[in-house]
Amino acid sequence: MSPLILTLKKRLVTRVDLSSLTPDRLNGLNVNAIKALKLDYSGKQIAITELFDVTGDDTDSIHFRRSSRAFTKIGYAMTKGSIEVRGHAGDYLGQKMSGGRINARGEAGNWLANKMSGGRIDISGNVADFAGAALPDETQGMSDGIVTIRGNAGDRIGDRMRRGLIIVLGNAGDFTGSRMIAGTIIILGKSGHQTGYGMKRGTIILGKKPQKLLATFNSCGKLKMEFLRVFYKQIANIGRRFAHFKDFSPEVHRYAGDSSAGGKGEILIMLHAT
Amino acid sequence: MKATRLILTAMTLKWAYRAANSLTGFASSVIACGCEADIERELSPDETPDGRPGIAVIIFAMSKSKLQEQVLKRVGQSVMTTATSACFAGSHSEDMMPLGKSIRYFGDGYQISKKINGLRFWRIPVMHGEFLCEETTGIVPAIGGGNFLVLAKTARHGLTACEKAVKAIRKVNGAVTTFPGGIVGSGSKIGSKYKFMPASTNEAFCPTLKGQVKSELTDEIGSVLEIVIDGLNEKAISEAMSAGIMAVCEYGPEKGIYRISAGNYGGQLGPYHFHLWDILK
Repeated sequence: MSPLILTLKKRLVTRVDLSSLTPDRLNGLNVNAIKALKLDYSGKQIAITELFDVTGDDTDSIHFRRSSRAFTKIGYAMTKGSIEVRGHAGDYLGQKMSGGRINARGEAGNWLANKMSGGRIDISGNVADFAGAALPDETQGMSDGIVTIRGNAGDRIGDRMRRGLIIVLGNAGDFTGSRMIAGTIIILGKSGHQTGYGMKRGTIILGKKPQKLLATFNSCGKLKMEFLRVFYKQIANIGRRFAHFKDFSPEVHRYAGDSSAGGKGEILIMLHAT
Repeated sequence: MKATRLILTAMTLKWAYRAANSLTGFASSVIACGCEADIERELSPDETPDGRPGIAVIIFAMSKSKLQEQVLKRVGQSVMTTATSACFAGSHSEDMMPLGKSIRYFGDGYQISKKINGLRFWRIPVMHGEFLCEETTGIVPAIGGGNFLVLAKTARHGLTACEKAVKAIRKVNGAVTTFPGGIVGSGSKIGSKYKFMPASTNEAFCPTLKGQVKSELTDEIGSVLEIVIDGLNEKAISEAMSAGIMAVCEYGPEKGIYRISAGNYGGQLGPYHFHLWDILK
């Protein structure tokens, strides 16, 4: 069997909801059945073949080629299998995902991993705002799983995040981990303003010392946090791009906060940070 | 029996040993200690979850509930109280029991859970820093009471041979000897003339009673030592018994070791029988 490859063949003028093209939803369908599917586009239902060239037959491994920022909800509620996206992965990538793996070889839009509860998403480029965050009408954002971003991330990463791990190898925008309930966010690059604003619990690990922290975070001093040894070792195991984590020191400057929201969260600034 | 393996780490191997020795203290026999426990082996930093030196210990109990009770008491009182220590699951199975899941309450609300790659750890703030403990550990079926007796000329002869046997047994993974130094100086039989005693001295192998009871000992035997082995499976126990017996046999009669025997206890100790000749084949 070869991966099911969906190659975009026209320029999109409006958004296309791709939530129906996941390993779960396509399970058991042959190529002809997949070609007969319809998608919502520009206010009407059109055949999938009007938008995509469809080749391959393995619905457990789906590849989107020449992907567009007009795509939305790739990998929606997927529980198994893998999706590879080449190009812009659009908004709501991996929304409600609970298993499987998404590998985006490009950028991703807003609301990445919204309500994600398992599985793994790797983004090789930048992402826009609200990665792992809750929508305005939701009480919790991402509740489990791993998201890795090799580029930069926008604002409000992990807003109201409940559990799980987000790793950003580049820089992050403002309000990282705002109103965070639990979970872990690691930013190895620069972080923006208001990091940890309103966080109740959870851990934000910063590779670089921020220009300033909120006044509602209190210093607990420079410490050797032994749990970081285990944590870094486990992160090093998730892929060779993260192997350098095992060389990180567990020495950090710990700040507890946000004291305006209970103060049981923490920002750990790596001590080698400048 | 039921068992679990724990991995104890600390800043140095010396302090990992302190935790392990404390945890496995007063754990020679389920008869009165609640569990049987011993150090399985040292672990290099590469083998431990946190990259620090560690010790693997195995704890055995007669039931799942007893095992849970003993593990939590011992980790709470012996491991968590050891400076710089951490505790991780060393066995995984479908049947998991709480570890950090229960001990976390010591954190009085300041404990923090971290989950990664399917493993959950509890960070409990303590005065030395943080006590890190894995959420659960796996309960696995186990076998206790594999044993053999070393019939020697004197206690000194017996002890010399048994020490070598214990050293050989400790090289076998999955098997431990839970009595002090791995050797039993007062092997018991099941039952007693006193109703309140579940076990009592094994008079048939007591050298001072040779003329008084139906003894199993011949004139030249002046001391009997027992080596009891608990293991995670029959293979581990068989290998350990074989290694131990072969080590003892190197001494022979000229060095005061006359016979090897074993306590069968009328087959009342459990369904597993380790026949010495079969083990050595």
